[in-house]
Amino acid sequence: MVELSVRLGALELRNPVMTASGTYGHGLEMCHFTPPELLGALVSKTVTLAPRPGNPTPRICETQLGLLNSIGLENKGIESYLEHTLPEVEKADTVIVTNAGGESIEEYREMARILDGQGAVDAIELNLSCPNIQGGALPFSTDPAKAAEVVAAAREATSKPLFAKLSPNVAHIARMARAVEEAGADAITAVNTLLGLSVDWRRRKPGLGTVHGGYSGPAIKPVALHCAWACARAVEIPVIGCGGISTAEDALEFLVAGCAAVQLGTACFADPALPGRLVAELHELLRREGIASVGDLIGTLRDGREENLEARSGNGEERPKGIPVR
Amino acid sequence: MPAPPSDARAHLGRVLGVETCGADGAILTVRTISELAPIRASRFFMLGRTDGVSPLIPRPFSIYRQRGRDLDFLIKITGRGTRALAGAASGTEIRLTGPLGNGWPTLEADGAPWVFLAGGVGSAPFYLAIEQALAGMDGRGPVPRKHISFLFGAAQADHLYDLEALGDLGVSIHTATDDGSSGFHGTVLGLLDRLQGEGTIAQSIRICACGPEPMLRAVEELARARDVEAYLSLETLMGCGVGICNGCPVPTRPEGPLGEWPNAKCCVEGPVFAADAITLAGVE
Repeated sequence: MVELSVRLGALELRNPVMTASGTYGHGLEMCHFTPPELLGALVSKTVTLAPRPGNPTPRICETQLGLLNSIGLENKGIESYLEHTLPEVEKADTVIVTNAGGESIEEYREMARILDGQGAVDAIELNLSCPNIQGGALPFSTDPAKAAEVVAAAREATSKPLFAKLSPNVAHIARMARAVEEAGADAITAVNTLLGLSVDWRRRKPGLGTVHGGYSGPAIKPVALHCAWACARAVEIPVIGCGGISTAEDALEFLVAGCAAVQLGTACFADPALPGRLVAELHELLRREGIASVGDLIGTLRDGREENLEARSGNGEERPKGIPVR
Repeated sequence: MPAPPSDARAHLGRVLGVETCGADGAILTVRTISELAPIRASRFFMLGRTDGVSPLIPRPFSIYRQRGRDLDFLIKITGRGTRALAGAASGTEIRLTGPLGNGWPTLEADGAPWVFLAGGVGSAPFYLAIEQALAGMDGRGPVPRKHISFLFGAAQADHLYDLEALGDLGVSIHTATDDGSSGFHGTVLGLLDRLQGEGTIAQSIRICACGPEPMLRAVEELARARDVEAYLSLETLMGCGVGICNGCPVPTRPEGPLGEWPNAKCCVEGPVFAADAITLAGVE
């Protein structure tokens, strides 16, 4: 028997496999492909205060090695979410994370306040990093001070675990990570999509209706791994890895790099039954390798940080949550 | 919460064979591991090879024919995804997610005759439609042969895929080509006008249509102008086929049955839409 459960701050997940926002609906509707009780957590599609009809078509464009999207956070707004979606999702026997989006600090604060009152919501993930609203130019996806303001505003409004989902489209993601940690985030999700562009030179047209969009899929895994690793080195709160994961091996790479859990995104489009299968593969892989607990792997990358961690725990400092020191 | 159909699953199968069809088409036959219940015409599967040759995102294909565990798909080879499928050797493993989407409405015997309009590879959802209409759908009576007309249009004669097999189904078939190389010289809607004008097809009809966007826009306009009951089976870019990527929006008519939201999801709310529910104007 392999122990797959992991801690994500105050939350215990039955395994480290989560769905990434916007890539698995609200999760429960996919129960014929993956029963929710097999998963560590379900993360909702981004919900915003007001309904959003989404971006013009084409909204998706496959490139040679990945997928570009510009959905534009199409959703029916928080009111509809609370009335129609959450009562359904609540039936899922797993940790429920609601992903909240916004275009201003006030919107995030209000979303956090509203979700704080919902017993069915186990945690809130703040989407600080959608590349498809305001052309990816939202200040809190790239400016540590602005990101911190958003997190601090949401922090004041809720006592629920608060995740900050970061953009890879920054020069120093560790600065973003430290900023949101100091502002009160309980975990970091690293990362959202990379900004990308596809061009049909014959028609002189971009592949997406909004010209550029978010790039995802296996091609971005090394970038995402680097971001997640850099975040995990920079902060003590747990990091959730996301970007290009489609196998159990991929998931373990993120865990070894310092992530306490992982999110599956674009790979769910290719095979909606993947999340459940990946959990089974993870179990089998660890059993074969003789690893008793997946937690034993978290943060074990031999990157020269081990000594620092030991030194810190020797000083009596609190150990990073979700990152056991070996 | 628009959800994928409750009978949709992730299936695996193996290529039984690929048969060339017309100038740029192929009929891919996949034998699934488990037998699927009878599939409604104009429902679809997301198909991709599991050996890494297919692109990342599987592609949607109408079910063309179903014989026990053997599923046929009519494929027009246009790019990487279709090339990978049409080039698959016998025995190649295929992942099939489905059956997806809603399919044609019940093709009832009572009421005006049915006219099926196909453009090019838009013929894919009609082989089964004709079979199922003739057999009777959803416990309803069979549609008499004389109440089904199949109008098949294409750019040229060798894009009239699998015409012989369709002919064997025993309903009246009329062809139209843009270059005049087979049947009526013009569009499938021009052909419909001609046939209605000469009395071969009744004035009062019901339409099912599948084909390129300009053709479906014309059917939508005709349906509105002449108050004809019409159903359009759409093809859009699809990232997932199961309603989770939001990549296949179809603009809805504000006053129509789906008008409460500006977009419908083609994959889970379609691919078949009543012509009065959506608007293709402005869709590229």
